[in-house]
Amino acid sequence: MNGTVVRLTYRALLGGRRAWLLLLMSVVLLAMAVLLRLTVGVDHQVTADFLGAVSVAALVPLFGLIVGTGVIGPEIDDGSIVYLLSKPISRPRIILSKLAVAATGTVLFAAVPTFVAGLVMSGTADRIALGFGVAALVASVAYSAIFLLLSVVTRHAVVYGLAYALIWEGLLGSFVPGARTLSVQQWSLSLTEAITTRDLVSSDVRLAVAGVLLAVVIVGATWYAGQRLRVLSLAGEE
Amino acid sequence: MTEQPSGVIHDIGYRKYDGPRLGRARVTRALYAHSLRGAYGLGRSARAKVLPMLLLGVMALPAFIIAVITNVTSDITGGLPLPYSRYVMVTMPILAIFLAAQAPASLSRDLRFKTVPLYFSRPMERSDYVLAKYGALATAVFLLLTLPLLIMYVGALLAELPAGEQTGDLLLALLGAAVFAVVFAGIGLVIASLTPRRGFGVAAIITVLALSFAAVSALQGIIRYEVGDADLAGWLGLLSPATLVDGFQTWVLDASSSSVAPPPGAAGGVVYVLVTFAVIGACWALLNLRYRKVAVS
Amino acid sequence: MPVIQTEELTKRFPATTALDRLSIEVEPGVVGLVGANGAGKSTLIKILLGLSPATSGRASVFGLDVTEDGPQIRERVGYMPEHDCLPGDVSATEFVVHMARMSGLPPDAARERTADILRHVGLYEERYRPIGGYSTGMKQRVKLAQALVHDPEIVMLDEPTNGLDPVGRDDMLLLIRRIWAEFGITVLVTSHLLGELERISDHVVVIDGGTLLRSSSTSEFTRTSQTLLIEVSAEADAVAATLTSAGLTVKRDGAQLVLPLDDDEVYDLVRDAVAAEGVGLIRLEQGRHHISEIFGEDQGGVGR
Repeated sequence: MNGTVVRLTYRALLGGRRAWLLLLMSVVLLAMAVLLRLTVGVDHQVTADFLGAVSVAALVPLFGLIVGTGVIGPEIDDGSIVYLLSKPISRPRIILSKLAVAATGTVLFAAVPTFVAGLVMSGTADRIALGFGVAALVASVAYSAIFLLLSVVTRHAVVYGLAYALIWEGLLGSFVPGARTLSVQQWSLSLTEAITTRDLVSSDVRLAVAGVLLAVVIVGATWYAGQRLRVLSLAGEE
Repeated sequence: MTEQPSGVIHDIGYRKYDGPRLGRARVTRALYAHSLRGAYGLGRSARAKVLPMLLLGVMALPAFIIAVITNVTSDITGGLPLPYSRYVMVTMPILAIFLAAQAPASLSRDLRFKTVPLYFSRPMERSDYVLAKYGALATAVFLLLTLPLLIMYVGALLAELPAGEQTGDLLLALLGAAVFAVVFAGIGLVIASLTPRRGFGVAAIITVLALSFAAVSALQGIIRYEVGDADLAGWLGLLSPATLVDGFQTWVLDASSSSVAPPPGAAGGVVYVLVTFAVIGACWALLNLRYRKVAVS
Repeated sequence: MPVIQTEELTKRFPATTALDRLSIEVEPGVVGLVGANGAGKSTLIKILLGLSPATSGRASVFGLDVTEDGPQIRERVGYMPEHDCLPGDVSATEFVVHMARMSGLPPDAARERTADILRHVGLYEERYRPIGGYSTGMKQRVKLAQALVHDPEIVMLDEPTNGLDPVGRDDMLLLIRRIWAEFGITVLVTSHLLGELERISDHVVVIDGGTLLRSSSTSEFTRTSQTLLIEVSAEADAVAATLTSAGLTVKRDGAQLVLPLDDDEVYDLVRDAVAAEGVGLIRLEQGRHHISEIFGEDQGGVGR
């Protein structure tokens, strides 16, 4: 990992409109948690449903998308990536540095608020907050790696990433059972299932399988992104 | 035409132009047509066509399946398995992706390459540009929503369902689709006009649409079923574009609701209508404001 | 009849005053607008096009007021901005056709005129490739083409030679001269390079800090001083002596000899003197004032 790359990427990511959007999203999540706590009181099923539907299924993937593409997409888009590529830093190292920033950002703005929202809604009961916090954490890293890879591979990473998140994990996941085994959401929910003591969350994927797949995806995506960065060509627009 | 090295100016004689010069209205229409075609990738590279055409196909596919099912089961069920007006909400993710991809494609290019001054140094006012772009994207979204409805309609007619009733339902659904198109196109364009980076525009639009829908639906579900307050749940529907227009449709056009909670009572219905039009007006105003401020360098 | 007229035109920004009570008149022809960066040249063009409103004062193009009759003016005006403004993923033909349509030409006329104009500016097979791959010279040509395609009565070119190499500059200047000389279109061209405008303008307007320094025809600026400058490869003294003995008053200006140019005989005398000494004649030109001299003159405080 390279400190300068980390610092520059961090500044580029958090300066400007992107940062406001991310902050807004975290605030909205927390606001909703507070609202629910005030209106519904403490209901662990509600907590599980809410965090599952809003955080794990929507907020975390979107976050991973915005941050994962944001750490390298704009640089490739306007061509300034050449400055980075002409330095004596190995490509995998560049990817690792950027992934570190992306993962940290996603964890800070998505996973931590999820954990806090869980605490707000259910306190420390049944390790619900912890369960969803961990799920969000792991999913954050996975999505960051996937979308970082997509950004290196194609200039339309955002659209393809969206298609994956919405259509694959959303629509198809509801209709085609097989698709659920290959869903990052399901893998992270299996972690929640393992951690929370009560039977509030169920995942279609067994813990061991989920763990392996998560590790494979994170490591594999990162490695492949490094390889693709080596042969990156700055072509024209579409 | 003889080939000359590009340094040499070829002299064949300059011809003056005495033909017609079309005014603002025709020029705006030309930009409208150009942008509408661009929304489906026509007139651009082959790669630009892939996504919109693919989305159009995916959008129409369920309608086709529904049409087939209707024909097979018409004796038993006597109607469409899914009412026309509910189709848009069911296929919302596809609509959202189309909007997220094509709204920036329409605006970001001119902003990023700073082509905008070239438009405004021509007989075209800023509001003409906004009108053309807004109209084009709204039309594109409307077409996206209309095609499946027409497919279902044809299927219904082939299944010999009562034509009068089907036509009536279809027309109401088309009206609802028009409102969806205008509201969503407006929101997408406002967000897209804020950034010259296309990728970020796409992400921002989808985030706003998807997150608002997910959050509002979840909240509505909890408030309605766990707390039991259907009215509050209904009011919450104002906070996301999808539930807003669905509520509008439910109350004004008597459509079947796809949201967790419909607008609460007559007062709720009126507020939904007002907010819908306010959103459209706000989008128009914001776009005009944005293009007034575009740095003309 | 003046094509462009401004009266006490002022444009103030919060931090600076871009134009300060500028009053000029531009007749048909090629008009050079000279000034350093930030002198107000681009601001003037933007106000004339109606892209930016003036703080006070009036301006008119073709006798039409820029604030009231903006759209009518813009129908007959072409604009070539200074900055990059071309999308990278369309071809020159597509882009110029689109711009022609945006200027109000019907589809067929737009295509026809695009083909013509691209030929006139010197883009041949390249016109079918995406603009993103063009060199700077080609991009400048496309920018010029979109300004000319709708047959305007006047084109405003903002720093058209920016970024071009010397050959490209010459080509562009020649092209600009042709726009007036052959196409009959008045040209308002800005530059911060004085030497170029000398060569192609009929009239020069000099602006500094938003105020008018000087506005007059180029021939006035570059009056021939009726002197002849020569420079020889060697034996300058001997040549000078020969010429003096032939009856000319010779002044030494460093390595150059300055002779009064009373009649054509002087040329013959120079030729003979140089041949007699057996040296090479490096330079033989008429002495002229250069535009740069006015800056020296007028920066002494002589205003409008």
